[in-house]
Amino acid sequence: MNVTGPTPYVEFAGPGPLTGPPTAPLTWGQRAIWEAIVRTAPDDRYFNFGRVLKVPGSRTVAEVCAALAALMARHGALRTRMSGALRTTMSDAFRATPAEPYQRLAEKGRLPVVVTTEDPDRVLDELAARPFDYFGEWPVRVALVLDGDRVAHVVLVFCHLAADGLGAEVALRDLRMFLLRGPGVRRPAASQPLDLAHWQAGPEGRRAAETAAAHWEREYRRIPPTMFSSPSGSPAEPPIWRALLRSPALELAVRSVAAEHAASTSTVLLTAVTELVGRFTGHETCAVLPISANRFRRDTTDIVATMSQEGLFTLDRREASFTGLLRAAGPAALRAYRSAYHDPADRNRITASVSAERGEPIHPYCCFNDMRFADPGPARCDPAEITAALARTSVTWPMSQDKLNCRFCVHLTTEGVSLTADTRYLSRPDMERCLLELEALVVEAALR
Amino acid sequence: MIKERLAELVAESSDGAVTADEVLAATVPLSALGVTSISMLRLIDAIESEFGVEFDLSDDGMGLLDDFDRLSAHLASTASR
Repeated sequence: MNVTGPTPYVEFAGPGPLTGPPTAPLTWGQRAIWEAIVRTAPDDRYFNFGRVLKVPGSRTVAEVCAALAALMARHGALRTRMSGALRTTMSDAFRATPAEPYQRLAEKGRLPVVVTTEDPDRVLDELAARPFDYFGEWPVRVALVLDGDRVAHVVLVFCHLAADGLGAEVALRDLRMFLLRGPGVRRPAASQPLDLAHWQAGPEGRRAAETAAAHWEREYRRIPPTMFSSPSGSPAEPPIWRALLRSPALELAVRSVAAEHAASTSTVLLTAVTELVGRFTGHETCAVLPISANRFRRDTTDIVATMSQEGLFTLDRREASFTGLLRAAGPAALRAYRSAYHDPADRNRITASVSAERGEPIHPYCCFNDMRFADPGPARCDPAEITAALARTSVTWPMSQDKLNCRFCVHLTTEGVSLTADTRYLSRPDMERCLLELEALVVEAALR
Repeated sequence: MIKERLAELVAESSDGAVTADEVLAATVPLSALGVTSISMLRLIDAIESEFGVEFDLSDDGMGLLDDFDRLSAHLASTASR
């Protein structure tokens, strides 16, 4: 990266002395991500993600650093690192049985800031390219991109233990406000991960956790042990690949089907993906793990934290038509979203006990992540327009890597629908076929 | 009174996509009014905290949630217990 001048630091401090200890157990969301990180290391940079904020008005480096200090003060997640009694270096964290880590909030610190003139998207990729030192480093990396002597863009790369996509949006919104209205602007206090961890461990949190756990246990007793269990016979090198379907026709068709069936576009796609999983694996009962935002409680809507977790969505296909599946999918999706707000310790316990009971490991290894921030929403579309749009469909292969803690991951983004799969269980030609059949299924339902 | 309060909770949960008046006047299920699944989850959480009840999300329980009149009657009967 073309770095301009010496690295400035943002000196930050929390809003005041804490009322309780600066440590707490991990929140459910942190623990879920931590387990995924440990399973994915050394490819755990996979979980890093970032945002580019176009700086409003004309701001100097010092002004942007002041806004960043206000952001760090406001959101405890950005001052929180992992801690563990026995833990001193990164490699220890990945040894067989690391001591149970916990979170530690720092009252103050210094955040290094890169100042550069490079393209912001490239800067983002560079900042996200290496894994975080979860125990030593602040969970956000920042670069300021200059245009002359003013800051044009702020690039933020988040450690997934500190924020998920929606949490990052909240941080960006607050940073923008500090830039516009000054770092001293008064705001109602923000919810904090330490408080959330205490709530989750308290009686209300345990009640929510038990409801969720009951769903996991009931469904784990009846679903196939894993969705993609047969070798594909044609593994690729490296084994993990991502295929990206860009399909304006699918976008229109999804909106149309959602309008027709009073469903969300997300539920339509989740149902279609589940049906495709069934077709490619032969399972009648299919289990998919949708990532749920878990921001439905009033005190978590605007928290900068990792709230998103996997829920358990199950659908019995039998001979049901796609319309029949959609009807069943509404309540099934709600049950899945509720099960997403769970304590991973409960889920681990249930996984172990049901796996022992059934005599084989139970895990769907099949997930679905709707990462769109702006859902275009249900809307009836002209069938002729949908058919015409089919000519603009494309499939590309934007990524490959060695390790992933899943076998079949569908991501919905504004770019399209991507499928990241383990080619040892689903070959690259089948991945492409799966995406195109997904398009065909929904388009056909829309044109019916 | 429960009906009015419930309609307010639906409006809050939907971030204003549906108003309390629309809920009270509606003759169709909440889902047909445009209450999305995330709004429905917020509503479930709000009702559970405010009325001290717990929803079972079986198909039956879901039918109850989607039917505003049945839901109000159910909460009224729970509250008077």
